[in-house]
Amino acid sequence: MSAGSYELLGEKAGFREFRLKANGLRVLLLQNRVAPVATFAVVYHVGSRNEAVGHTGATHLLEHLMFKGTPEFDRAKGTAVAAVLEALGARFNATTWFDRTNYYETVPSDALETAFAIEASRMRRALLRDEDRVPEMTVVRNEFERGENSPFQVLYKQTFATAFREHPYHHPTIGWRSDIEGMATERLREFYDTFYHPNNATAMVIGDFEEAGALAAVERHFGAIPASPRPIPEVYTVEPPQEGERRFIVRRAGESAWCGLSWRTVEARHADTPPFAVLESILGGGITSRLHQALVEKSLALGVNVVAWQLRDPALFSVFAPVRPGVEPAEVEKVIRQEIARIASESVTEAECEKARTQLEAQVIFDRDSTDQIAASLSEAIAVADWEWYADYPAAIARVTPADVQRVVLAYLHDDALTVGLYLPKEPAGGALESDDEAETAS
Amino acid sequence: MTGAPVPRRLPFAEAVRQRTLANGARLFVLENRFNPTVALSGSLQAGRLYAPPDRRLVASMTAGELMKGTARRTKLQLAEDLESRAASLSFSSDAGDPVGVDVSGGSLSRDADLLLDALVEVLRSPAFPAEELEKEKKRLVGSIRQQQEQTSIRAFESALRRIYPPAHPLHRLTAAQRIARVEALDRAALEAFYAERYGAASLALIVVGDVEAGRVLDRLEAALGSWKAGPAPAIPAPPIPPAAPGSETVRVPEKANADVVLALPSDLTRTDPDFLPCSLANAALGQSSLTSRLGVRVRDTEGLTYGIHSSFSATHVAGPFVASLTVKPESRDAALAATQDEIRKYVAGGMTEKELAEEKSSRIGRFKVDLGSNSGIASALDAAIYYGFGVAYLDEFPAKVAAVTKAQADAAFARRVRPDAFTIVSAGTFPA
Repeated sequence: MSAGSYELLGEKAGFREFRLKANGLRVLLLQNRVAPVATFAVVYHVGSRNEAVGHTGATHLLEHLMFKGTPEFDRAKGTAVAAVLEALGARFNATTWFDRTNYYETVPSDALETAFAIEASRMRRALLRDEDRVPEMTVVRNEFERGENSPFQVLYKQTFATAFREHPYHHPTIGWRSDIEGMATERLREFYDTFYHPNNATAMVIGDFEEAGALAAVERHFGAIPASPRPIPEVYTVEPPQEGERRFIVRRAGESAWCGLSWRTVEARHADTPPFAVLESILGGGITSRLHQALVEKSLALGVNVVAWQLRDPALFSVFAPVRPGVEPAEVEKVIRQEIARIASESVTEAECEKARTQLEAQVIFDRDSTDQIAASLSEAIAVADWEWYADYPAAIARVTPADVQRVVLAYLHDDALTVGLYLPKEPAGGALESDDEAETAS
Repeated sequence: MTGAPVPRRLPFAEAVRQRTLANGARLFVLENRFNPTVALSGSLQAGRLYAPPDRRLVASMTAGELMKGTARRTKLQLAEDLESRAASLSFSSDAGDPVGVDVSGGSLSRDADLLLDALVEVLRSPAFPAEELEKEKKRLVGSIRQQQEQTSIRAFESALRRIYPPAHPLHRLTAAQRIARVEALDRAALEAFYAERYGAASLALIVVGDVEAGRVLDRLEAALGSWKAGPAPAIPAPPIPPAAPGSETVRVPEKANADVVLALPSDLTRTDPDFLPCSLANAALGQSSLTSRLGVRVRDTEGLTYGIHSSFSATHVAGPFVASLTVKPESRDAALAATQDEIRKYVAGGMTEKELAEEKSSRIGRFKVDLGSNSGIASALDAAIYYGFGVAYLDEFPAKVAAVTKAQADAAFARRVRPDAFTIVSAGTFPA
């Protein structure tokens, strides 16, 4: 490496961020030598947020096609990405979410170079053949169908579709069924050519490696890839304020009932994100949490899932609960509203705050146990903010007081910003068990 | 790329400190000071194999209720003490492994004493409060009812119900039967099972992380040394049932996706010398939806499924060989035919030398990658000890994998996987 190939952009908490001058690729390094392994990940700043009507699910379908072939790694030649990584014993995958797509592989550290070669190859040289898309479309459609089997997934997709009407968080990352089926390969290529460029990506190396060697290798593999010929398009759609409670019901066969309450909140970078993280923990973090006590311990719900969504644009604060069969979903909704109202009027205790802060701070330390866990957390942080946001997160959490938590509840969790979703059984409760006897045998 | 490597570790056989107490409890500690965390893993023999056939459920309920309170602390106090320090501790005994109760936990290293003390307190003096059991019974009944809508669970459980007779620990009851059994359980049954099965003689505990090994061993010995031994480790082998070829459709209404399970009883246990050959042979057939033969054919080439896998369920008890896939209901017949065709070809022709070489390299590399965290090391040590291989197994594993030959793998696999003997169950919404 010529020392001048990179510009050091910043360093903090063990992280060092560089910019490859030739093409704007950001390279983030964190040495974490717990074992002779390393994780390489590339995060592209493109997700379902960048899609619109007619091509929802494009980001995700494209992610699937990225495993099919490049000139260097091609299933037609027996050198498929997955086969090469599998033979190394790598733990690898790719995932798509609202704000990003990431590709990652955890490998024995002496195999890092192979990971660089794969990701460099598919950054600009994916073949995106129609004969690959056709069978992969039905694979992805089955992934969609699996999701539709899950009451929780149905509920959360419908929640976003109801709470967001203008902003693209409206549609799910997997896409709408008919878009998955109808999207042409050419549309995917356009998407690839618009967003897959070094200047729209962050590469990270985490684990057991030596800095100068890693930077030189990254430059060797990625340095010749040019920056995008045009600027990466920005998303400018803003969801206007919600002006009243919204409700929806999904009815399906079976006995499952779920209740979900979601309020419009803030973007991850917002100063109110740390109080929401603490609130999430106070309401839903473990047996001692308020909603576990009020719902599960009272035998109203089978569990409770509280999510302070952290996304690049303003998102939601959600409570989802599977209702215990025999209990009225309205009762669960009432209790959730009461618990929120109680915090609005009485705040939370310092002891609750302290427990939540301890848990959130400990999570960052537990992350460091394994390189892929750090990579996963860091990928999310980069997608919604940046690595410094991740590095500063524990300090931001440490400053959260009970008054902050009460303040965000009062400011955001009011009825006009609320979407209530109910997933209800079509048949009256208690009627579905005879399906045990419906099995038919043909042998 | 080269660089300053991670300092070379001692072989596990030398680095792990061990102590066996007079009552039989076996303790293993590995100092790994890279990160201020500690991982806890362990097991004892108190699974459903040891419960009466008409009350198998008592094993998982006893394990699950351990954390619901002790002689000294209520459930809520115990949870408060752990959660306020971001520590976790759990006990479980799942139906897939009829022998063991799994112990699992973790904390920051500054809280290691708190974690270990809670572990011993829970193991030695659980209270099984009646009101907690009643709550759990209600929750469980609700869960069982909701699970009836999950096509994967319905297909899998139905297949096991057809293969394993009611007296076998791998038999699965229908939901209605299971609910009746849950409702009939009382705390006396849990207390009796605990009194009979729990003790130090079959207990193994593994602690990995930023701790001082000698101190951990001393602390655990002081706390556990006076615990009763309980029953000596013993694993009676249930008889292997004959295959039950046939097919069944379980109708679950309004489901976009269907699940298909192909299952066979097998005599393979984790301790069988054929385990590694079978496991490598299976990997080439169906371990990965992306690269194994089933994945390449049914997913990658024909696009009929998102996920397709095969595996042997081999613990101390021989479980089934299962291939499973998810499909659009209309594609079931085509996907099933392709799956069966691939399995037939594979059993008839065996794996290629190239496949074997790749699976070996994959297994050895993956083993190394999995040892990249305190919890990963704790799990690997736990498994090696649980199956009686000893700590040195972690050092020897790569060589054992490398030694497997194609002839061994093909023969061991073909002897067990008979393509015409599958019990095939699909669950979902199919045209009438």
